[in-house]
Amino acid sequence: MMTRLLAARENADAVLAMALLACVAALAVLVPLLWPPDPLRGVLAATFRPPMAVVEGGLHPLGTDQLGRDLLARLGLGTAISLGIVVLASLISVVLGTSLGMIAGYFGGWVDAVVMRAVDIQLAIPFILLILLVVAVVGPSISNLVLVLGVTGWAIFARVARARTLEIRELEYVEACRAIGVSDAGIIFRHVLPNIFGPQTVLLTLDLPRLVILEASVGFLGLGVQPPTPTLGNLIGEGRAFILLANWLVLYPGLTIGALVVGCNLFGDWLVRRADAKAA
Amino acid sequence: MKSLRFVAGRAVQGVIVMAGVSLIVFFALFLTGDPAAVMMPPDANRAEIEAFRHAMGYDDPILVQYLRFVGGVASGDFGRSLRFQRPAFDLLFERLPATALLAVTALLWSSLLGFVLGTLAAVRKNGAIDFAIRVISLLGQAVPVFWLGLLLIIVFSLKLRWLPSGGIGTPAQLVMPSLALGAYYFSAITRLVRASLIEVLGENYIRTARAKGTSEWRIVVHHAMRNALIPVITVQGMYFASLLGGALITEIIFAWPGIGRLAVDSIQTKDFPVVQAVVLFAAFVFVVTNFLVDVAHVFLNPRVRL
Repeated sequence: MMTRLLAARENADAVLAMALLACVAALAVLVPLLWPPDPLRGVLAATFRPPMAVVEGGLHPLGTDQLGRDLLARLGLGTAISLGIVVLASLISVVLGTSLGMIAGYFGGWVDAVVMRAVDIQLAIPFILLILLVVAVVGPSISNLVLVLGVTGWAIFARVARARTLEIRELEYVEACRAIGVSDAGIIFRHVLPNIFGPQTVLLTLDLPRLVILEASVGFLGLGVQPPTPTLGNLIGEGRAFILLANWLVLYPGLTIGALVVGCNLFGDWLVRRADAKAA
Repeated sequence: MKSLRFVAGRAVQGVIVMAGVSLIVFFALFLTGDPAAVMMPPDANRAEIEAFRHAMGYDDPILVQYLRFVGGVASGDFGRSLRFQRPAFDLLFERLPATALLAVTALLWSSLLGFVLGTLAAVRKNGAIDFAIRVISLLGQAVPVFWLGLLLIIVFSLKLRWLPSGGIGTPAQLVMPSLALGAYYFSAITRLVRASLIEVLGENYIRTARAKGTSEWRIVVHHAMRNALIPVITVQGMYFASLLGGALITEIIFAWPGIGRLAVDSIQTKDFPVVQAVVLFAAFVFVVTNFLVDVAHVFLNPRVRL
């Protein structure tokens, strides 16, 4: 009885996570595709209208901003851009980190030492500072942001991939592969990689919230993607000047970030618990 | 003797890390190939850029420049601020007390409360209290510092008019920034203490203590807590770094005159020597903290005593 109750709660977590992520995904995909108002051009006669305001027959469910632009349209596009940046960046991090981690763990010796010190160095610099510095030097375009966020996020993936590879390397079937003359690259890609794919995916889910908040922070400071293009952080950063007048400009982008982060965290935790239960 | 060697090894690693950080911080300016063009205002003409390049020494061979940079840092010279025409290190040091005050306050309330709530949640595992604490900690990790900060300002400064929305000097001005900055950390500590304590409470020696009729309170405080705290201490170093990153945002929102604000202002005005000094300083704090955590680990946990 107790275990069934617990299982039900665990699954409730997964359902809630899915629901939150589905809402955010719908916002990012459906709104830019289907919602008619222009996210970049507004009606100057209709600035700072509160949520559910109707202007010239057009409904603004989340209100309008300082230039009379529809907040729902801007939030949809902003979520899509932020998600795009974060997902692409995380892919770079995963590929880079997993490759280096596997190489370090598999070969050991000085290769391992070099990669692990590089991990230490990467983790010693506060992400936000490094990203702000690099973006200030190379310029705040979307592709630059993707690159910087991706390249700076590799360290955690490398650390975990290395630890798993160290274990896998000692397994008997890997030894057997070596004995029959399978190349190092063959072993890494055919036998090590499939074994760490699952854990790395879980780690990715748990690391996404960090990236979401990081990207939003850079946008909030006005040093990320430049206006009028919206991102989740930009929207809050721009809305900040008007919180007395129009707190919805800050409220809804923040809720979107919250939904995204809670969804990822719950989902990641659920994956971890499921993996633990399977292992037990 | 072995512990001593371990400590020495960690110290060497720390030095290597700092060397690596200096490399990154130095070469970040050369990502576009020409730091002079990046740092000069967009309307500067070629002669002005040339003169600036020469004045900053950017026309020397890059290795010479790097050695000069490292030599300067090693002797406490972090370069000069372009904006203030003063040593970058002096600027940083003037702002240090404000950031330290903010970070320590945030760290104190969040670890104390996180510790208490985490323990409570672990002892009452799967009960109503556990659930409530879980919701709070999930939300604490979900909202970005800047959003929480703005929300606090809207509610407590603009609506209720209880607290000032920014500045430094009175205790009331410290409340909201430290609350915003510590929220994430508080959630992390709560979750960690809970998970760690639950794991330890399932160990055999705890069952033995229970079988002997030891009170639950005594079991938690005397037997379980010591072991449960080890992972908590281990991650402190990691979180401390994210605390510095968070301080950067918090200081902007609440007009707190600390290092983070200095960093953002310097980035916006392309005053890169100051930014470099801040990054180096942050990394230094991180390395030292982690070193201390590693050392503490050796002395607290007999199992890693080599």
